[in-house]
Amino acid sequence: MIFTKLALQSLLDRKGSVALTLMAMSVSIFVLLGVEHIRHQAKESFSNSVSGADLIVGARTGNLNLLLYSVFRIGSPTNNIRWETYQTIAGSNNVKWAIPISLGDSHQGYRVLGTTTDYFQHFSYGKQHRLVFSLGRAFDQVFDVVLGAEVAKKLGYQLGDELILAHGIATTSFSMHDDRSFTVVGILAPTGTPVDQTLHVSLQGIEAIHIDWQQGIKMPGSSRSQTEVEQADLQPGSVTAFMLGLESKMTTFRVQRAINEYAQEPLLAILPGVALSELWQMMSILENTLLLVSALVFVAACLGVSAMLLSSIRERSLEIQLLRVIGAPPYFLFFLIELEALLITLLSCVLAAAFLAACLVLLRDYSVSNFGLHMEINLFAENSFYLFAALIITSIIIAVIPSFSGYRQAKVIQG
Amino acid sequence: MAIELMNVRFHYPEQPSQTVLNIPSWSLPGGKQVFVHGPSGGGKSTLLNLLSGLLMPNEGQVEILGKRLDQMTSRKRDRFRAEHIGYVFQQFNLIPYLNAFDNALLASQFSRRGKKSVAHDEIKQLFKSLNIAENDWHRPARNLSIGQQQRVAIARALVNKPQLLIADEPTSSLDSTNRDAFMALLMSIVTDSGITLVFVSHDLALSRYFNRVESLSDINRLEGST
Repeated sequence: MIFTKLALQSLLDRKGSVALTLMAMSVSIFVLLGVEHIRHQAKESFSNSVSGADLIVGARTGNLNLLLYSVFRIGSPTNNIRWETYQTIAGSNNVKWAIPISLGDSHQGYRVLGTTTDYFQHFSYGKQHRLVFSLGRAFDQVFDVVLGAEVAKKLGYQLGDELILAHGIATTSFSMHDDRSFTVVGILAPTGTPVDQTLHVSLQGIEAIHIDWQQGIKMPGSSRSQTEVEQADLQPGSVTAFMLGLESKMTTFRVQRAINEYAQEPLLAILPGVALSELWQMMSILENTLLLVSALVFVAACLGVSAMLLSSIRERSLEIQLLRVIGAPPYFLFFLIELEALLITLLSCVLAAAFLAACLVLLRDYSVSNFGLHMEINLFAENSFYLFAALIITSIIIAVIPSFSGYRQAKVIQG
Repeated sequence: MAIELMNVRFHYPEQPSQTVLNIPSWSLPGGKQVFVHGPSGGGKSTLLNLLSGLLMPNEGQVEILGKRLDQMTSRKRDRFRAEHIGYVFQQFNLIPYLNAFDNALLASQFSRRGKKSVAHDEIKQLFKSLNIAENDWHRPARNLSIGQQQRVAIARALVNKPQLLIADEPTSSLDSTNRDAFMALLMSIVTDSGITLVFVSHDLALSRYFNRVESLSDINRLEGST
């Protein structure tokens, strides 16, 4: 205990230089920890977003584009799929369930997803978690809407509230479907996926708000009432994409090939897991570069600590001599200086983690609304422990330079 | 004998041709106090470092309290020093940023003598017997007066109940009042406890406290010296 106190008091005695070193070290660990945390969270968030679907089908485009717009609501589809095509594929023998997805409208920056009630029954995320209603129920009327947890929380909607959808997906829209209002009938429990930022309506609801619209513009002079619209033929003409659950996993590649070779319409079927790994592969260069830069910043900070400790040894020659006289062996000096480096690193880790946690709290909403990325505040995931261990080991290794210098100085007294 | 030196020769590694100490024979019986005087640069500190085992002779035998330091490993010498030898310097006797109590406690940590609680009790007793005011115990050493620091230094040197005490010009930074008080205190402790004392100073006025007074030049027979 007295040795820790000795190291701690020694650092406090040099608080000016130690404080600057501590700041440099904390900033470097903050950057490293931040990059690693965001990387991990992004991966987890993406991987958790869809877990039950065997295939995702859309109009022919790139694998990643289909994955991004259908699951993560990022980007735009190149084309729609005809309703008949959807029905044919959904009705084939190998298919256990199908969830149609119709995108293109929004509400205050949040995407609207047109689907069927199968969505609430079959869609799963994370480790096969099904969607759960925190309030209300699934839609069963044309103008019912089910809100994701984040939408309800941020916009303050309750069951029974009415809202108007906007045409298009821009945050600020000038084309409002203001003649048709939707009633909130259900609010989903939080999932930590893009579902939380989505408003769910029936495919008929999507059709209903686009009656009397052409090319994204409301035709002048149309004045059908909501009831008249509800009674109209609301059979969807097309959907944006759909997810498939198959009877047997063994048939996945066969069904995928059949869809990709579908003669009536150019389609693309992807395996979500494969598309995700393509995404990680693309991102890995950027990830590794970021990680490398952060690691180099940390090593630079460690060298700063070592330089500070090394210069302090010259000032501490009398202290070293005194310690030797009272019986401290030379290796005690080695471990004392290592302990000082370790204390600086540990304190920097605590400061960096606290600062990062504070930043995550402050930027959580921004990250959700702008990137659809749910950031956990808890930094102590398994990989963070490995990172902290790596930081501590690195700092101990780099502190060998001043520690050995202290050891040698102690040895020199001995002759 | 508490100290027995035989045919000791020492030179620093960086100047092998320049012998600093050449002591054919020198001894001191246990429980005795000797005053060694000599000019600055005469090898006083080197002699004390040999006695404490911080330096090893190039030739000869160094026997302290019946143990041959020159035959011990470095680790054993460190342990021996912590357990049997107390040291008081002219200055920088204490780690300045530690408080008085922790300075004494630190010295006790390198010996195998006692448990932490025993060390605490012994330090308290020692501080009380040396008239170190309780409100000074937990003040950083650098905030104590020179006189107080020297008293704490004695406590620190005595904390492991040494049989040999080495004092390297401990009074040179004290005024005459503090010097006399320090000497009276030191001599009463070593006499009462039967501690062997090697006291080195260039101030011959201090020789009055000792029965045995020796000049370093009589001990250290360098070739060409008279």
